[in-house]
Parts: sequence; C-alpha cells; structure tokens
Amino acid sequence: MAHIDVAVTGVGYSKHVSKRRDVNIAELVWEAVSNCYEDAGLKPKDIDAVVTGNMPAFEGVNMPELWGAGHWGAYHKPLIRITTGGTTGGSVAHAAYYAVASGLYDTVLAIAFEKQSDGNSTMGLNTVALADAAAQFQQGVDPGFLASFGGGAVGIAVYQAASYMKRSGCTTHHLDKVSALCRNNAALNPWSHLKQPGLTPEDVAKTVLMQYPIRFGHVCPATDGACAMILTTHEKALKLQNKPAYILSCASCSDEAALMGISGSGTTNMDPCAQEHCKLAAKWAYELAGIKDPRREIDVAEPYAPFAHQMLMFYERLLLCEEGEAPAILDSGSMNLDGELPVCPSGGVISTNAIGASAMERITEVALQIMGKAGERQVKKEVHKGVAHGWGGAVNLNVVAVLSDTPRRS
Amino acid sequence: MAEMEYKKETRSVEGSWPMEHWSWKFESIALISKTREAFKEKKLLGLKCPGCGLVYFPPKPYCRCMSEPDEWVEVKQQGTITTYTFTGAWAYEGIKEEEGPAGEPLIIVGVNFDGSDTLTVCTLGEAKPEEVFVGMRVQLKWPENIEGRLDDIAHVVPLRE
Ligand SMILES: [Zn+2]
Repeated sequence: MAHIDVAVTGVGYSKHVSKRRDVNIAELVWEAVSNCYEDAGLKPKDIDAVVTGNMPAFEGVNMPELWGAGHWGAYHKPLIRITTGGTTGGSVAHAAYYAVASGLYDTVLAIAFEKQSDGNSTMGLNTVALADAAAQFQQGVDPGFLASFGGGAVGIAVYQAASYMKRSGCTTHHLDKVSALCRNNAALNPWSHLKQPGLTPEDVAKTVLMQYPIRFGHVCPATDGACAMILTTHEKALKLQNKPAYILSCASCSDEAALMGISGSGTTNMDPCAQEHCKLAAKWAYELAGIKDPRREIDVAEPYAPFAHQMLMFYERLLLCEEGEAPAILDSGSMNLDGELPVCPSGGVISTNAIGASAMERITEVALQIMGKAGERQVKKEVHKGVAHGWGGAVNLNVVAVLSDTPRRS
Repeated sequence: MAEMEYKKETRSVEGSWPMEHWSWKFESIALISKTREAFKEKKLLGLKCPGCGLVYFPPKPYCRCMSEPDEWVEVKQQGTITTYTFTGAWAYEGIKEEEGPAGEPLIIVGVNFDGSDTLTVCTLGEAKPEEVFVGMRVQLKWPENIEGRLDDIAHVVPLRE
C-alpha cells in the first residue's frame, strides 16, 4: 500500500482555564494556532489545508469555522470541520493524517478546541438526547424517572465505573489514586487546567460524592482551551527539525450507544465498560503500525480518561495488559512519570477537558514525549513509541493513534 | 489598552422546550406499541433478527447486522443486572454518606432479561444498596395498573428462587 510517512512538526496550545472571558472563540483558537506556527517555524503560506473541530453544541455557537480564514491562517485554503463528540480532536487529527498520508497535501494544520464557558455544556449534551427523550415520553416514560437515571456524561460514567470495578476488582481507593497521579502530573504541565501539586488519594476521597461510585475529585473540569498541530511529510519535517514524531497509524471504531437504545428500543451494547470497539481500534492501529507486542513496544500512553476509572479501563482496552490487571499495575508505580509505562504524563483529561480539543491533545502530548520536548512532565524513560486515544458519544466511539520516533518505511 | 469589563457568569436566557409537542411516527414506535399492548397481558415481546439471531427487547426495526428483525418472541420476566448506580448521596463502599439529600437512594440497574440480547434500564426495589451486584438475578415487578406504558417494565426486584 502506498503510504507517505506523516510527521508532527509543530504543536501549540492556548492557555486552558474554566472561563476565558478575555478572548472570543476565534481569539482563543488563534493563541494555539500562532504558538503552533512558531513551534514549527512555518507561516500560513506553508500550509496546504486546514482541518478544524469542536462540539458546537457546547458553545451554542454554530459554524465556528466562519472565523478560520480570518484568524487561523486558513485564508484561501481548503478547510473542513469535523465533530464527533469526545473523539472530535482525534477525528480531526486522523483526517489531517489521512490528508498527508494519502499524498493529497504535504502540510496540514489540525485545530481542535472548546470554549465551554460561552455556552452550557449540559444543555449541549442534552441536545444529543432530546429528540430521543421526546420519543420515550411519547411512549410512556415518566420524565422524572428518565432524569433519575443520571444526566450528562457523569450519568454514563457511573454505570461504566460500577461495571468496571466489578469486572476488574478496581476499588474506590484506586480511583482516588488515579486522580492524585494525574493532578500531580498536571502540576508539571504549563498548559494544564487543574494543577494540584501534592494532592493525595486521601484528599480525593474527601471530595463530595456526585453519583456512586464517582466523587467530585474523580471528574474532569470544564475547560476553555485550544490545541493546534502541523503534520507534514517525512522529507519536509527533516528540513524543519532534527527529531520529529511520526504518526504511524490511526484507527477508529464505533459501537451501539450503551444504556439506552434509540427511542426506547433495547441496545445490544449491554456493558458500558466492555469497550470491545476500543480493543478493535487498538488492534487495528497496532497492526498498521507494525507493533506486535504493545506491552513491550509502547513506552508511554495517553488514554482519554475524563473519569478516574477510565484511565485503568482504557489501559486494559488499549491492550497494554490483560483485562483486570490495570489496578495492580497502578499500585506497582509503573504508571508514574518515572515508571515502566507512564500513563497520562500530561495530567490527562481528568485535569484538563476542553472537550473538542482533548482527544487531539492526547496525540500532541505523545508527540512531545517522543520529541523530548515535554519539559517538566517529560517521562524519565526513553520514549520511542506511544499510544494516544480518544473516547466519545454514549460510550460508542473510540479513536486510537500510534506514534513513533521512527517512520514506518525505514 | 483599557481593561475590559466582563461579567463573571455567562448570561442565560430563560426558555422552554415543550417536548410533548414532539410527536414521532417512525417505525420503532409502531413496533414498541405492539410490545406495550402486550404488557397488558403481562407478556414481554421481543423481536428476533433472522440474520444473526439477536433478540431486541423492546423491539427495533433494524439489526446491527443490517437485517430486519421480524420474528416476535416472548422474553422472560427474569433477568440479570449488568450494571448499576444509585441516585442521591450514598455508599462509598458501604459507608453511608452524611452529604447530599437525605432518604433512601433510588437504585438504578441495567437489566438483561432472559431470552433477549439487550439492556433495559430499571429501578431495583426491595433491596438495599449494599446488596446489589453485577450478575444479580432479578424479576420484573409489574405496576398495579398496567397501562401499556414503556415504564411499565421499569421496575425489578431481587429474584427469590
Ligand atoms: Zn441481526
């Protein structure tokens, strides 16, 4: 199969906080894009095409790409927007990767962002389900009863967490430990949102219970933030820098929505923690990347984990260990910054969640680890290969990318 | 540059979304209506796919294998809990919480009824939160007046064998 090696040659972030009142959407994204141009040593004239993405329902502002040409360097360029829920940033990166890998374009700018404070994210999530809820009311479901199932992303996550804990033996103490690990890593990351240096599992255990088994300390914040990344060919990347990171493969996989089928029908996705489609996406991504034993070959992992149990669950579903082993691996210290297979060195989605941006930030963070440019959050071991993941929808979509310091064909 | 003035919170505009005016006529409504009618005879009707054999309860017009389920089959009123949570503040590994609203929590469970391949979300009654587990066997508890509503099948109790 003809394939052009695709390199990450520039990464840029905006400042990430809860409420960016000092900038509008276009200006927020501009921060990340201009940082990215500077990091890559490129100008808008060097870019052949632009891919952007967010979840417009969260801002309540449709067609945000209106400002692309004026603010993001997309003037007189091909531009496309992609929206796939929590996986948005991953899907954006995948599209940019395909644009270069296919030979259609040499250099592509990928942009992913969310400015949640401009809208209401819970309302945004509701718009995903409103038509469906209306159909259930029509067929005789009490609205109060439906609401008691638990709303929004936490509603989905608690079922997944309860089921995962049963299947894996993960305890609430493990959840507390995950939060502490991530928030301490986030404290070393200049662009992260929730920095909590010195946070202990005991501190997390004292936070308020939201819905069993998830506490406030186990949940991501709502973040305003943007991320940009420039992908180019192996040849062009080598002219720009000594040590680019290569995207070896991308894979995505979908499943039926969990918990409720559409409009009152049953769903065959019975266990929200099974995530069989994540395992498939991971398997395909490793195969495409030529990875035979991910447990030995992957040096760093950035699973998409806005809820504490998901860091362990997705570690397993990304085939980095046997099912049910992740809690013990956490206990062993292997997932720490100085561990054998560090997980979420960036602090992860549980520390920073500008929803549309989060899945791409997993990829840019693995890229920075490979380039050795992760600063204080750089893991202690040498990084050759890493895996980046995204999760979205009603647990129904997973995206996986494998990155390396070496291109595929050499 | 002058310091910009801004408000602390996003401005909200009051509004309503009258969902009762939202009237659907799509295919699964007709199928689920048949299942809802059968509730009145205390029967659970699922729809089986000729392509792969999966049984959808409540029914669905199109299977994930892209065949069209067309065989009505009776689903059992016993099932297994596949996942669960609690409303309100409760139960961090069995420890009663001081925080949050008082009173007994509602136990919400995902149930796979025997003879079907799907999950239905129900509340679990006649059980304490600490007794719930994935794999627990449960039995449908019909309401006193069965009206042929979708939530006629939304309550289960532990199966006493
Ligand atoms: Zn089928």
